[in-house]
Amino acid sequence: MDIDVKELKEKHVGFEFDQSRFEIVPEKLVAYAEACGETEPRFIDPADPDFRAVPNYPASFHGQKNLPDGFPLSRRRSFDGGKMVESFAAIRSGDVITGRSHIHEIYEKTGRSGPMMFVVHRMEFSNQKDEPVAIVDWRLVVRLGEM
Amino acid sequence: MAGLSYDDVDFGDELPEFSPDINLPTICKFTDAAGMSFGRFNDHEEARKAGLPGAIVPGIMSQGIFAAMIHAWAPGSTIRKLDTIFRASLVADTVSLCRGVVTDRDDDERTLELDLTLSNADGDTAVLGTAIVSLED
Repeated sequence: MDIDVKELKEKHVGFEFDQSRFEIVPEKLVAYAEACGETEPRFIDPADPDFRAVPNYPASFHGQKNLPDGFPLSRRRSFDGGKMVESFAAIRSGDVITGRSHIHEIYEKTGRSGPMMFVVHRMEFSNQKDEPVAIVDWRLVVRLGEM
Repeated sequence: MAGLSYDDVDFGDELPEFSPDINLPTICKFTDAAGMSFGRFNDHEEARKAGLPGAIVPGIMSQGIFAAMIHAWAPGSTIRKLDTIFRASLVADTVSLCRGVVTDRDDDERTLELDLTLSNADGDTAVLGTAIVSLED
């Protein structure tokens, strides 16, 4: 697959390409937490005074666009390499969260299966008071060699 | 806080092992809450048609399982950072095992670093994780 990684970095890294809003409802917070095995009341009981989302809840938020317009990506060649969540403040029922997306980093590595490109898609989340609440990095791995 | 304090924890301490519920109804509950109700997660047949060994556990559910294990070990703790690498698929309706160990202590920040693994029924590590955790606010 012929991709000019340097050109791709210059064109896409650091530019916001999506902004989406997410309303936080208690039923979803509880179901998400219970399915993961949480038992603490602050995650599964909306009546708890400290009721909040589990820390990786914003990892479930998707913008309207996953990648910038024109970003070359073949689904057959790519896979989800992992996710990182950094939390700064609690996300609570009734919050309205804004997520802003940009490509944070693009780098190459050569592994046992050949050359690969890592695309780090970052969403930065803030609440209705414009306070930062979380960052989620999604590492997308793209195989560059012959398949 | 009812749980551990920073001074109670040493480098090398292991978190209690935890066998998460990755049965299909629980995964469906998760995907409904997360807005990820797709065949590869919710239906064995559809997943097999897509070339998977069966319905699989969403990556971010594995991440949530890591968080649940940390909270069970240290109630009231705050997970500041949680990073996961998805190495292999975890198939629904199988047995998996979640493990964690304390790999570092930061006395200035009073935070702990944990290494986390989620293994599949064959004992292979399907998901790797690291977490930075504060036991006291």
